[in-house]
Amino acid sequence: MEAHEWMVRSTYQTEWITQRGIFLWLAMYTGGLGGGFYLVSLYFNSFIGMLISLLIVAGLKGGFHFAYLGKPLRFWRILFRPKTSWLTRGFIFVVLFVGFAAIQLILSHWLPGTAWEILLKILAGLMAIGIIVYTGFVLNTVKAVSLWNSPLLPLLFAMCGLLGGFGLSTVIALYGGHVDLQAAETGSSWLLVINSLLIAVYLWRTVQKDETGKKSVMDQMRGRVAPAFWIGVIGLGIVAPLAVTLFSFLSGEVIPAVLIAGVICEMIGGLSVRYCLLKVGIYKPLFPRPSYLKP
Amino acid sequence: MKWGMVVDLSKCVRCYGCVVACRIEHFWSISHDWLRLMAVEPDRNGTSPVVSTYPVRCNQCQEAPCVKVCPTGATYKREDGIVAVDQDKCVGCRYCVVVCPYQNRVFLTKNKDKGFFSGKGLTGFERAGKRLYPHQYGTTGKCNSCMERIDAGQAKGLKPGVDREATPACVNTCQARALTFGDLDCFESQVSKLIRERGGLQLHPEYVSNPSVYYVDRQRIGMFEFRTEAEADGERPLSERT
Repeated sequence: MEAHEWMVRSTYQTEWITQRGIFLWLAMYTGGLGGGFYLVSLYFNSFIGMLISLLIVAGLKGGFHFAYLGKPLRFWRILFRPKTSWLTRGFIFVVLFVGFAAIQLILSHWLPGTAWEILLKILAGLMAIGIIVYTGFVLNTVKAVSLWNSPLLPLLFAMCGLLGGFGLSTVIALYGGHVDLQAAETGSSWLLVINSLLIAVYLWRTVQKDETGKKSVMDQMRGRVAPAFWIGVIGLGIVAPLAVTLFSFLSGEVIPAVLIAGVICEMIGGLSVRYCLLKVGIYKPLFPRPSYLKP
Repeated sequence: MKWGMVVDLSKCVRCYGCVVACRIEHFWSISHDWLRLMAVEPDRNGTSPVVSTYPVRCNQCQEAPCVKVCPTGATYKREDGIVAVDQDKCVGCRYCVVVCPYQNRVFLTKNKDKGFFSGKGLTGFERAGKRLYPHQYGTTGKCNSCMERIDAGQAKGLKPGVDREATPACVNTCQARALTFGDLDCFESQVSKLIRERGGLQLHPEYVSNPSVYYVDRQRIGMFEFRTEAEADGERPLSERT
């Protein structure tokens, strides 16, 4: 009789990354991207940016969540437990964001500069902040997964969302969407540096935490998820966009194709960050591990 | 009143009777289990022939993380301490499955529910089960300590843990009497006595979820000179924590 290895070995969570769990991964990413893009568009006062971010959150994030749920038609039930559940809080952020942002865009189009428009921009902005951080808190509550149980996670997700937002703003700027291209590029560059440091600190702290955390990080860097980490997160997510920024800075010219390629790399990086985090979420063993079973 | 269970590891003979009884009671297919048995052979060299078995099921935590995170209230804690799932309210987000530190919850999918004889249709028993105990696909489930039996038994004036009709099926079936069910709040109950006298241990107390399932036989737990995750973190060994 074989031992159930999931009880004496560290085991991987699979519900949120395999089969229909893939939709949750995509929903997490598009939520961060949409929320971050709205905040950046708010900063640049870009109407088209705000509109696209609304479509990303309502259409893509909402759609992916709908596709993920086991009983999607009961989705409205998620609204009623904000006191204890981060999932409910997140759902409320999304619903309110969609409502506020939709009204704000209508006002921005027909009644720009009114007090109501400004108020709704503030409210939608606050909800967008909620959207980019709540997934971090959702993962943070899982105590048995050392990699996720970190206070840095919401901050990391927020920064990744903003980075994606600055990336999309760069594209908008190229097509005349009332965005200052140089400012968008500068924002992207700073966030790339901040994100790199955050990822390094986050992984370092997880290694220091316990054996399971160390295993998660090692698996990410050397194990089955290593290609996604080194190629996706580091190569495409950080090095390639930084190289594009450096190229633009040194050459002094703007080549749209290169900038767009950089933004696509950034987006792949954002997807890879969440993929790696979900894929190497490892539970502590339920029972003491026999000495003959190597960790 | 708080229902709880004590698992005596020294008595378990690994007959899988509890697993089968649970399947029959709740009409589970072969691929969905609420109760599992983990067996570890501590020594491959034969110097220690003892085989240890851990029956595991939902710990009915008093500070259950699954109850806290459930966005719909589908997972709830009853007054008697049993954590139950209302499948009519569950949206299938699987937050509870992921957050359970003991990995004791299951997501019910049609893909997995292929019947005992896969590809050959359902047996008469399985068809009857689908009518009598309809589990909903796309929702989550877990051991509910046979709360239907407990409720029905109590309505007849029976005492869970003492009278078979009001006691969980796995406890009734256990031929070695390794499982004991009863009221943890009652000082004189069998479960309280076992925990008190033999030093009942909860799994992973560091999660502060306060499970209602206790394991006794310190000698057998202590026999595993394994380095646990907690010990690696510099905490006291599991065998020394009570």
